[in-house]
Amino acid sequence: MAAVQHVSIREFGWLCSPSLSGEVSQPQLQQIMASVNQSQQQPKITLDGEQMEFSPGETVYEVATRAGKTVPTLCYDPRLEAFGSCRLCVVEVAGQRTPVASCTTQAEDGMEVTTASAKVEGLRRTLLELVASENREVAVDALRGVASQELGTLVEQYDAGCGRFAGAQSGASRPDDPNPFILRDYDLCISCYRCVRVCAEQEGDYAISIANRGFATQITVEFGGHLQDSACTFCGQCVQTCPTGALADKKALRFAGDGTLNGGS
Amino acid sequence: MTGQEQRTGGYTENIVVAETDLTLIGRFRDEPAPLLPILHAFHNRDGFIGSEAIEAIAKELRIPLADLYGTVTFYHHFARAEGGLQRPRVCTGPVCRQRGALEIVESLEGAEEMPCAGRCDDPVPLLIGHETFVVSAPLHTLQRRISSPLPVPNPGGREECVFAEIRAPERDSLDGYRRSGGYDALTQAVQGQSPTDVIDVLKESKLAGRGGAGFPTGMKWQFVREAPGEPKSIVCNADEGEPGCFKDRALMDHDPFAVIEGMTLAGYATGADRGFLYLRYEYPETNTRLEEAISAAEEAGLLGENILGSGFTFRLYLRRGAGAYICGEEGSLLNSLEGKHPFPRNRPPFPTTHGFENLPTAVNNVETLCAVPQILRRGAEWYQKLGLGDHAGTKLISLSGDVQRPGNYEVPFGLPLRTLLHDWAGGPLPGRSFQAASMAGLSGGFLASEALESVTLDEPSIRGAGSMLGAGGVIVFDDSRDIVDAARQAMAFFAHESCGKCFPCRIGTQRLLERLSGGGPGELDAWRREISDIGDVLELSACGLGVAAGFVSDSLLRNFPEQVEAFRG
Repeated sequence: MAAVQHVSIREFGWLCSPSLSGEVSQPQLQQIMASVNQSQQQPKITLDGEQMEFSPGETVYEVATRAGKTVPTLCYDPRLEAFGSCRLCVVEVAGQRTPVASCTTQAEDGMEVTTASAKVEGLRRTLLELVASENREVAVDALRGVASQELGTLVEQYDAGCGRFAGAQSGASRPDDPNPFILRDYDLCISCYRCVRVCAEQEGDYAISIANRGFATQITVEFGGHLQDSACTFCGQCVQTCPTGALADKKALRFAGDGTLNGGS
Repeated sequence: MTGQEQRTGGYTENIVVAETDLTLIGRFRDEPAPLLPILHAFHNRDGFIGSEAIEAIAKELRIPLADLYGTVTFYHHFARAEGGLQRPRVCTGPVCRQRGALEIVESLEGAEEMPCAGRCDDPVPLLIGHETFVVSAPLHTLQRRISSPLPVPNPGGREECVFAEIRAPERDSLDGYRRSGGYDALTQAVQGQSPTDVIDVLKESKLAGRGGAGFPTGMKWQFVREAPGEPKSIVCNADEGEPGCFKDRALMDHDPFAVIEGMTLAGYATGADRGFLYLRYEYPETNTRLEEAISAAEEAGLLGENILGSGFTFRLYLRRGAGAYICGEEGSLLNSLEGKHPFPRNRPPFPTTHGFENLPTAVNNVETLCAVPQILRRGAEWYQKLGLGDHAGTKLISLSGDVQRPGNYEVPFGLPLRTLLHDWAGGPLPGRSFQAASMAGLSGGFLASEALESVTLDEPSIRGAGSMLGAGGVIVFDDSRDIVDAARQAMAFFAHESCGKCFPCRIGTQRLLERLSGGGPGELDAWRREISDIGDVLELSACGLGVAAGFVSDSLLRNFPEQVEAFRG
């Protein structure tokens, strides 16, 4: 007990005047500790039954991943502003009728969160089935890009590739784009806009954007043109963040094709 | 989309802007929210928005070229091909479909379909350029419409609020407006009431948002008043895009000064010195009328600097949308005003603290704002008592479809729906009976005939029946209508209008449309399960559009099982 108090007073020494740091009576110490506890008390949320401290401003998703929970996402990239579009990161919050997107919900003191109830897992599976249904294929070559396996992995994990929700496919690939670096295979695009956002938020290039609406949405440069005629600098950030392989490294794919790094280039 | 237009670019510094284009841009570039009026100026001058126009605007407003191109393609009324502005656009909303709109499209050369244009009480509207015509099938003559039907005197003899003076002579002129009590409330407020007095009266009146969300108006204004940051803004949401809703059009056509006075009072109460009236594209005559009314109010010292000599300043900017239902969602509307891609915003933060340009903003519906001057003139208690039982106040209902007398009706909250349908509006057409009605326009899905007899017009009652009152559009379908097809049409609307931001809505509305069009699993139970599973994830949507789409499909399965079986049988 005494040792703990000793450590504490040293740790919070900045609160004590020089005269206090030497000799401290027990009641004085208790008084100091009470005020220290009060001013230092971290807000907490309950995460799957366990208390988790958080810093004001943190989202539920950030707290959950810090606690080691695996919350699925497709539109999230820690470098980017939370966007809240895939809705896979939904969690149940006590008192809320419908699950909320954890990536855009700030943690609040006393919040009770369940990250993977049967209900939420079922909704995630349906969402993944819907996403899988809009694409030509879900399993793609890992050489397409470092994030390219994200969708395939989740679809497998949630057993969401069973072919429900068959229907029209979204996005149109651009095999006509002659640039030698970036493959624009939008048949595999799921409109998470990570490419558009990384181009704007990280690179400041604003080379690509979103045309049309809804299911007809298409990633584009101005006037539906080619990347080399746009503000694109071929930095490759969009390829790096793409979770489906819709954007891919052409050079790596050539390597995959004939086994030599420079083959075909 | 995949076809490349013959432009080079990306780097706007290489773009040379013509002198005439600079003049056009210069007219608005120093005003707040300049992008929409500049795009309209080019659209009007050229009859479409060409690539050169987009390049010039991008350069002058310093918007990334790709962004501006994408944003222009978001709005379905901005024509991208030459001559596009003059192509006839025929309303093929749910009521106009009942009146043969598809035949009209076929018989009119070059005609295109447009989603509900808000004239369900006067079908079928046709837009050519900026003129509205009304036609009936088979195509005969086009009748020019410069105004919309005036609401009939209240058939139930109930005391009204927003319609109380709307039928007064020359109410749409400033003189007529002032003769019938107009600007009494503003005069009284700036001369004798503090802003918090105004807010207190509204709180006591229990006035709540009439666009559908029902948030208490006085509280919203107080939040804006207390929020740090200036300048603050008032935004009037007049983007009345919900199919089957046409109440705001009637208010703005016949009582334009009421909404202006309401906005000015909102500015006074919250401390905002600028206001934006965001009007949907499909009301061009209303746009002209509002422009004239704003000028008249400015000339009379009722808008602008030093209003009524009080030192209070409030400037009002009219902004016209360009065809996007989602812009009626407040986050999308604010992004649209700011010239951004009109996706909804994540909430919180709410517009009361982070609205237009991230500053405190009150976003209010037209009907809400029109009620404010009346409440301030006549008192909170007067307004509260207009409702029936425990309900406070009134609601405008836009009633349309298979009913004898469609139109806008101001009802006391709590009025039985059957009273409105049978006693006020004359019941079903001869020889017919009611099969269903959609609520909240289309967003509340469909109620079956039994519910139409039992619900009262207030949110708790209609929510109890698995629907919602929302903005107050009610479309009636009689026993001659195919309700599965009505649901398919509704889903086609939501799929067309889905912004494409969040996954459940973007993919879900498309999949539901395919299933209601005959696609999906052949076996009925599997088909139904797919529809209800999609309905479940639509509830996770980031805004109300996706949630509403789920209301439509779920209500079809729940309330019309026999019709569904016949469809799949």
